[in-house]
Amino acid sequence: MNDPGAPLAAGDRIELRFPARGDLVVLARLVTSAVATRAGFDVEELEDLRLAVGELCLLALQGSDARHGDLRLELTLLGDGVAITCSLERASTTGDTEPSADEMEAAHLSEQILTALVDEHGRQSEDGAVRAWLRKRRRELAG
Amino acid sequence: MSGGRDGAPEPSAAAGPGARTDRLDPAERDRLVTDHLGLARQLARRFAHRGEPLDDLVQVASLGLVTSAQRFDPDRGVEFSAFATRTIIGELKRHFRDKGWAVRASRRVQELYLELGHATASLGQRLGRMPTVAELAEETGAGEEAVLEALEAGQGYRASSIDTSDGEDEVLVARLGAPDGAYEVVEDRELLGPALATLPAREQAILHMRFVEGRTQSEIAAVVGVSQMHVSRLLTASLQTLRANMPQRTSASG
Repeated sequence: MNDPGAPLAAGDRIELRFPARGDLVVLARLVTSAVATRAGFDVEELEDLRLAVGELCLLALQGSDARHGDLRLELTLLGDGVAITCSLERASTTGDTEPSADEMEAAHLSEQILTALVDEHGRQSEDGAVRAWLRKRRRELAG
Repeated sequence: MSGGRDGAPEPSAAAGPGARTDRLDPAERDRLVTDHLGLARQLARRFAHRGEPLDDLVQVASLGLVTSAQRFDPDRGVEFSAFATRTIIGELKRHFRDKGWAVRASRRVQELYLELGHATASLGQRLGRMPTVAELAEETGAGEEAVLEALEAGQGYRASSIDTSDGEDEVLVARLGAPDGAYEVVEDRELLGPALATLPAREQAILHMRFVEGRTQSEIAAVVGVSQMHVSRLLTASLQTLRANMPQRTSASG
């Protein structure tokens, strides 16, 4: 296989901030695959991470009127994998918007997908800012 | 046909190997399956960008759903949708693995990367300017995300030489050295245009053959009618001239 180039090491941190729009989640996926490649994940894990990060962004966007906010993606390299958080940072809080039943269901699905794809994940809401995170370990190389 | 399922992989050792684990009556199972077909379809769609027909994936996911219903144990305290999601994703992933997807995927990325180089050159000639990523996506029939992905992966193979250089000139040469780094070529050609025009026609042609068409020095030597050594010298000299005549790369304001 080709050398994926300069590797990233534990402690390295990559941040991406972009307008909180669904059609821009592609940016999060692209950065994630670039980072995961350099962090030594294999192709399948990389696809899992891309999928997972998409769900993470959906979770962070969930239940909010996010049109004015930003999504902040933060990837931190760990010794054995990667930790990724996605938070919605709103320019102004316009009161709590109750998530609809559809949104609740979508969020539920996202969480279940994350359970299937990554080692750990969670979601917190602090001061109107939603923060979803995940952690995925690299598969031990066989042989 | 016997009802045994010997050989079917079990998710856990809780049930004996090969044993049917359905704890629900058939009607209950059927209800779970019909109620969750939408879930199976949604999960299949999440995997659709990996290049398999959606219909196939929906089928794999639906089979995964049936398996989930057969194995589901309501006494375990896990809700069915969570259990099914995990099983279905497991089945989808296995489907890709069985088809040798990872190998094909990385090959596809490499092929697309090469294809993009050619597409950039031919579109460039046709349009009279460098193509956009959207145009490259249309030309190659790949999605924009796939194009960006391939460009990124393709550059990854060369990233060390780009990253370890300290000067702007070194960076440029490293980029020129990547045969078909379409994205960088777009950027570099804009900067290079004026400098390139100062070179004799033969040198321009040699650079084009080497870095745009990706031909070897020997191939170029045969075309131009000089020795490979001479091509090598001409390339070195041309690059030096280019370096000297290059305008400063304007970086994004910051």
